[in-house]
Amino acid sequence: MATRSETLGMPRAGTGWLEGARSRPGALVVGGLVALVVVLVLGVGLGSVTIAPADTLAILAHRLLGLEVGGTWTPAAETIVMELRLPRVLSAMAVGLGLAVAGATYQGLLRNPLADPYVLGTASGAALGAAIGVILPIRIVLLEFGLVQILAFVGALLAVTAVYRFSRTGALAPLTSLLLTGYAVGSLLAAGLAMTMYLSGANLRQIFFYLLGGFEGSSWLQLGLTTPIILIATAAILVRARTLNGFLLGEEAAAHLGIDVRRERVILLGLASLITAAAVSISGLIGFVGLVVPHVVRLVVGPNARRVLPLSALIGASLLAAADLVARLAGGIPVGVVTAIIGAPFFLILLRRARTGYEL
Amino acid sequence: MTPQAIGHDAIPAPILELSGVEAAYRERVVLRGIDLAVAAGERVAVIGPNGAGKSSLLRVVAGTLRPRAGRVSLAGEPVERLDRMAIARRLAVVPQAVALPFAARVEEVVGLGRLPHEDPFRGQRPSDRAAVAAAIERVGIGGLLGRDARELSLGERQLVLLAMAVAQAAPVLALDEPTVHLDLRHQVDTMELLGDLNERDGTTILAVLHDLGLAAHFFPRLVLIADGRIVADGSPEDVLADDRIRDVFGVDPGFVHRPAGPGRSIVGGGAALLR
Amino acid sequence: MSPFLTPRPIGEGFRVPRTGHPARSRAGRLVILGATIALIAGACSGAATATPVAIPSDATASVAPPASATPAPTPTPIPAATFPLTLTDDEGTAIDLKAMPHKIVSLTPAATEILFAIGAGDRTVGKVDDPSKYPPAADSVPVVATYLGVDVEKIVALGADLVVADHGITPPDAIVQLRRANVPVLVVDAKNVAGVLDDITLVGDAIGAGPAARDLTASMQAGFDQVAAATQGLAKPRTFYEIDATKEIYGPRKDSFIEGMIALAGGTPITADPGASSIPLEKLVTADPEVIVLGDAAYGTTVDGVKKRPGWGVMAAVKTGAIRPADDVVITRPGPRLVEGLIALAIAIHPELAGQFPAGSPVPSPTPVAS
Repeated sequence: MATRSETLGMPRAGTGWLEGARSRPGALVVGGLVALVVVLVLGVGLGSVTIAPADTLAILAHRLLGLEVGGTWTPAAETIVMELRLPRVLSAMAVGLGLAVAGATYQGLLRNPLADPYVLGTASGAALGAAIGVILPIRIVLLEFGLVQILAFVGALLAVTAVYRFSRTGALAPLTSLLLTGYAVGSLLAAGLAMTMYLSGANLRQIFFYLLGGFEGSSWLQLGLTTPIILIATAAILVRARTLNGFLLGEEAAAHLGIDVRRERVILLGLASLITAAAVSISGLIGFVGLVVPHVVRLVVGPNARRVLPLSALIGASLLAAADLVARLAGGIPVGVVTAIIGAPFFLILLRRARTGYEL
Repeated sequence: MTPQAIGHDAIPAPILELSGVEAAYRERVVLRGIDLAVAAGERVAVIGPNGAGKSSLLRVVAGTLRPRAGRVSLAGEPVERLDRMAIARRLAVVPQAVALPFAARVEEVVGLGRLPHEDPFRGQRPSDRAAVAAAIERVGIGGLLGRDARELSLGERQLVLLAMAVAQAAPVLALDEPTVHLDLRHQVDTMELLGDLNERDGTTILAVLHDLGLAAHFFPRLVLIADGRIVADGSPEDVLADDRIRDVFGVDPGFVHRPAGPGRSIVGGGAALLR
Repeated sequence: MSPFLTPRPIGEGFRVPRTGHPARSRAGRLVILGATIALIAGACSGAATATPVAIPSDATASVAPPASATPAPTPTPIPAATFPLTLTDDEGTAIDLKAMPHKIVSLTPAATEILFAIGAGDRTVGKVDDPSKYPPAADSVPVVATYLGVDVEKIVALGADLVVADHGITPPDAIVQLRRANVPVLVVDAKNVAGVLDDITLVGDAIGAGPAARDLTASMQAGFDQVAAATQGLAKPRTFYEIDATKEIYGPRKDSFIEGMIALAGGTPITADPGASSIPLEKLVTADPEVIVLGDAAYGTTVDGVKKRPGWGVMAAVKTGAIRPADDVVITRPGPRLVEGLIALAIAIHPELAGQFPAGSPVPSPTPVAS
């Protein structure tokens, strides 16, 4: 057997910096954290109103750390930094983190590179819930969450539960069944959404803004309620990275490697859907982050979920906060447009580089 | 580091035992009245026509197919009482084929075999990495290191899956048609590797094979399954009697050369024909 | 992927502003307004407080107010005792104003017009972008909002102490954010003509210009009454007000603002079914309008174009040629020029009234939409 090595082909030489990056995951994490901090500072410091950077830092130091670093600033500047910009940037980070992790989880679980957090009906469910919340003549505000957001959250979870339930019947393989059921339920809910939009009359615009997604309504209280959900569920997925790795070769192989497939599928689906529901309840439907970020991360570090998940979280957070900043500076265009402009070309590049290795 | 067989010398009882097993997919019965006992350190080949139930037998052994009747025990424990992790530490399965949705390097796929052993949070320990390297070396795919597993030929991929199972270092190794896509040379190499694992490490081997010649040459015990039942169980000479080949496979027994000793050429025969 | 559904075409009041508006004759409109006021002032000779409606304080001298009118009043100083003040806006929210607002931001074109009409133009520090650019005095006010969204940061940076928003136009998120930044936001929502007058009064009270607002509404009411009197004995033709017909046919809904206007202007309004936002052609043909008012005249719809539409030829209005372009801005904007709009609508429905209201209706010359 000693001579076999030569007959089976040459090893591929690593390509320069990509190889270097792959072999230093710690450096990548540090890089991700640095990017996060940079985006945070830029996001809070820039906006349609010019505030001197020194003032911005002074305000942050004063309000967050209790330090008096001198300098004078107007109450308006302080309001803008602390009440308008900071919660918005942090919300964008929380949502970006959540969507990227949920996307990576769905892709790994469904073993489908085209999966994103919305593929099992969460988007349609959230949109329909939000639309119903818009047209209902009731005004409920629960801890600063309006009816629209509450129903979006509920709608997302109900939709994915329905998809899961319906997919259990039938003879198809569970994953195929999930995807197809997700498509069918999603289409049904989208029809309901169209109907609701038709009936909404003057409130159509509000529904439309929800569909586009955005962080205009960010507040500390909303952030404080959704971020723990996103972070705790993300942590719960992170500790299951081993399970996600096991799914790489399929459910049967995963079982042979020691994964309790049925239980883990439910748990991972549930956690990823919870994250998605919490994210869309404060941000509306923002696309491409959940789809593209995990792919890009995998391109660099490979499919090991222990690396893909935390790095996706960091990159997703930075990316969405940066996209929100661009959207703000470009005159208030919807952030979903910015992520699409960034994401679509990326996606096309990915498609070109994809191999056809996915055969049964 | 060679994988150590757990309890190899300690337990004289069968490491794998099925009694009165009946299994079905929905309404279609695939196994009936299966009684099979495999001792630790045995090398058993499961043969039979297509659709006879060979793969189903493996699934029952691995616990992924629950039998409608009968008992299955693995290393002395009933399989239904073991959780998947416990089964994975006792039994490694080499699947026939898998599909990879993402790019994955050969060593990463082989590394999956260490899933039952690695630290759940921190991942592979140095001992795990060493086991992976050893498995790659042992199967002889060192030349494939760094390659994307999706770009390999089917035969190379099969070897990668074999290495993954070797890395899993379980006392029982089950294989589902591991030589389907391999050329002659690699078929022999794989068989010799299985022999090596069996004789040097004491790994119990249970292999579903379609090639009667390979089975007869490399496995001292054959189990012949037809129509969901065990029709014969014993040495190749006993199992591959002429009338049996005629009945079960529906071909002229002259198609299959029975080995008389070392050095004889092996002919694969293509004997697995449906009746 | 995210299911971005294309929204259905926008219903009334939500037309996305298009560029390429024809030039408007501002001077002409001011003349009409002034003339109307003269008529009203003359008619109500007994009124002791016959202070004319405040013409925008920066009005150019091209407007010659009627002889009996006094020149544009300067904002009368308000006694400090009226503040602090709590009002309820049209959404039912209580608005607390600690002092008289001096930095007002208007988030609707109607509110901009109202503010300037009641003498608070010099206190207006921010406005929403208005393609129809009225009043001209508001040109110098910085833009803090467009149809894309509201720049909350700018409003906060300006130190605004009152923001006037509209329930249907202003994004709710912006209202919430402003309130969270401790900027009082007064949300108006006029569902009919009476509601417009109430809103003018509300805004006037909020900024300490109550008397000026009430003067304005009184004269507007008088104008409405005059139109009602003029149309009283006349037959009320079936009138279809076309909001948009490029794809589906959009007209006023039942109990909508425009429906009320048509009724006041002496027509029988043809409305869409409740719950529907468009009218199928068969329904419109069955309703057989006798007059078609083209509210989309400024967006490229021509009388000839309407005549050529397949299936429209059977309608009475098309047969008799009673297709009249109209300026949708004054007809639908819930602000001080509503009287002008009502007059224009009345003349469109009853052309014979044109003599009673001098100088005709301000009809924009239809131009093709700039694409």
